[in-house]
Amino acid sequence: MTMLSRVAERLYWMARYLERAEDTARLVMAYQHIIMDIPKGSEPGWDVLLSILDANPVFNERYRAANEQNVLKFLIADLDNVSSIPSSIKAARENVRTTRDVLPEEAWEMVNELHLYVQEKSETSVGRRNRHAFLEHVISRCQMINGLLMSNLSRDHSYRFIKLGRLLERSDMITRVIDVGAGDILEREGAFEAIDPLLWGALLQGLSAMGAYRRAVGPLVEKNAVVEFVFSEQMFPRSVRFCLSGIREELGPLRANKDALRVVERARRKLRRFDPNVATREELHRFIDSFQLTLNDLSAVITDTWFQPE
Amino acid sequence: MNKSWKSYQSGDFFDELITPKGQPRVAARQAVKLLQSLPAEEMNARRAAAELAIKEMGISFTVYTEGGNIDRAWPFDIIPRVIPAKDWAAVSTGLIQRSRALNCFIDDIYNAQSILKDGVVPAEIVLDSPNYRPECAGISPRYGVWAHICGSDLVRAADGRFYVLEDNLRVPSGVSYMVENREITKRVLPELFENYSILPVDDYPSRLYKTLASLSPRDIKRPCVVVLTPGIYNSAYFEHAFLAQGMGAELVEGSDLFVDDSDTVYMRTVDGPVHVDVIYRRIDEDFMDPEVFREDSTLGVPGLMRAWKAGKVAIANAPGAGVADDKVVYAYVPDMIRYYLKEEPLIESVPTYLCMRKDDRDYVLKNLKDLVVKPANESGGYGIMVGPHSTKAVHRKFAKLIKENPRNYIAQPTLSLSTAPTYIDDSVQPRHLDLRPFILQGKDSWVTPGGLTRVALVKGSLVVNSSQGGGSKDTWIVEGKK
Repeated sequence: MTMLSRVAERLYWMARYLERAEDTARLVMAYQHIIMDIPKGSEPGWDVLLSILDANPVFNERYRAANEQNVLKFLIADLDNVSSIPSSIKAARENVRTTRDVLPEEAWEMVNELHLYVQEKSETSVGRRNRHAFLEHVISRCQMINGLLMSNLSRDHSYRFIKLGRLLERSDMITRVIDVGAGDILEREGAFEAIDPLLWGALLQGLSAMGAYRRAVGPLVEKNAVVEFVFSEQMFPRSVRFCLSGIREELGPLRANKDALRVVERARRKLRRFDPNVATREELHRFIDSFQLTLNDLSAVITDTWFQPE
Repeated sequence: MNKSWKSYQSGDFFDELITPKGQPRVAARQAVKLLQSLPAEEMNARRAAAELAIKEMGISFTVYTEGGNIDRAWPFDIIPRVIPAKDWAAVSTGLIQRSRALNCFIDDIYNAQSILKDGVVPAEIVLDSPNYRPECAGISPRYGVWAHICGSDLVRAADGRFYVLEDNLRVPSGVSYMVENREITKRVLPELFENYSILPVDDYPSRLYKTLASLSPRDIKRPCVVVLTPGIYNSAYFEHAFLAQGMGAELVEGSDLFVDDSDTVYMRTVDGPVHVDVIYRRIDEDFMDPEVFREDSTLGVPGLMRAWKAGKVAIANAPGAGVADDKVVYAYVPDMIRYYLKEEPLIESVPTYLCMRKDDRDYVLKNLKDLVVKPANESGGYGIMVGPHSTKAVHRKFAKLIKENPRNYIAQPTLSLSTAPTYIDDSVQPRHLDLRPFILQGKDSWVTPGGLTRVALVKGSLVVNSSQGGGSKDTWIVEGKK
């Protein structure tokens, strides 16, 4: 059974938007931990979240100060921000609406419910009091939807394009989260030595990777080991390497997959050649930047090959 | 026992379930007996269950309504309408006869035009109609069939006989509700089914697939059939998705299709272009192909008409079929049946006055208060005047409209539409209804057993359209008692 390009594209974006909503929620949660743990005065600003999400220009158009209230409003309650949680959920819902017939029946209901929940609660969840419960709800619902799809979908094109979308978005977000520890907030090498373990611990939490890290690496949370783990751990489903393998696996059975496979190989090679143990923070940041460009290339090739063919 | 059954009175109208003496009709006896035994609380509970089922099944229908859209929940009356199979058999034969004649007519109009040349139908009413598409001249689709899916509206008059009120040959809708209504009744009144053998309706999608597949230009085992929808914002999108799913066909939008240099239609899929054989189009022909019809259409497929004319793809209903879907042309259907089939009409039409004819017009203008006046080219119950229910001012307004544009108006006697017991508030009351069966025509002909019964929920109202306060009922064609 083949699949309309339009339907494949909508499934792919549904998965990306759901993953984006979930990961944004994880990121905000993790960052909140850091802010709370770090001694007053030395904590990084909320604008870091904006740079991680490449959202500074959009933010600056409508907000003046990048304080907690504004940044959180922008990320969890602002429908004008296309990558906010409510916008992502809304976009996911739009995509499910026209692809219901290829998804399990409950998928539409779940996504619709989540959409209604987010619509209703996001305004009042900007403040610290309700924020945590809101983010947790978003994360758990996204996980439910993923679980439903994983356990009920036939392993045909619908599953394939959903998985491609999810893994691509996830790889992108993993590298963004790592960038918190590498990029802007730590401009000065060594400035946050004292709080480093706190920071990386929080980032691992944000990726739901703490337990897996402890079991595989050990109890000591240390920058190079963390980066290596979330980049290259073979067995952990939220590592970049794992995501790339999944992408390669799903591209395999598709027609005209040469170009896409070539980009995936390029990404895998890049990842293999990067050694976190010798890289400076600056190099790590530059690597992430360039790696994300490769992911963009991959998405563009997928679009050209299967969604909008000539 | 629900008391309101005892005092139930339909007056001068033909009632579908109850005789003038207040006794249930033979075919309805078991059902009425059971319904009578249910106290009001129980009836209310069943009605609530039906509403819930509609909400569940029709979630799609209501959630599309953000921003004050046109869709509403589908009002459903839980008391089914019961028609004996032997009565239905005659109607069914009459409908097939009618659909055959209409298709002969359309095919003739776009080819030899012999019916016009022989003066049976005046040429100007056909050729000047906006529904006549000169672009279709010279084409003869497979089996000579243009209107593959026809939804004819029937009414039952005081004499208990069925009359055809109009034929919808463009994109008739409502068939999904016929199927869903049965589903709801099965859920909420399962006991009713115990003593009956009711003809099933849920195989409509497979019948439709068979009809469509028989049109395929390529002789292959499983031709590629698609349903072409204008998209999610169309009020019938629910039905489009329902039928596509039921047929295992792709639900496509215009942008999913393209026509190549060999005039072949393809759909864009992740496995590359896939050859499309048959398109069940649910978009208006005005929007079908920007190369031929409306240039500004973004819903259509450029080149689709080329492909159809070249015989590379079948389109149902064929573009141009609407030429017979005109209330003036309607008046000539009995003549068409005699002309093409050399048969007498088996099912009657409602007597129709054509305002373009002077004698008819004079009669209509004199008798506006007793007549129903309809524009020749509207559907959905818009622009209709029901004389006895209208004020003098409205009569004057229509007199003016008719004088200004006589071709555009027809008039018919006000029919005493049949009634059926309908559960309103806490009691059973008579309400007027009509019936829309669907006639499929490809290699073979087939009529839905029953169809969609629409009921005017407002007391005394004759307007059954869902856009104007109508609801629907499950319609049973029942064979003699088991």
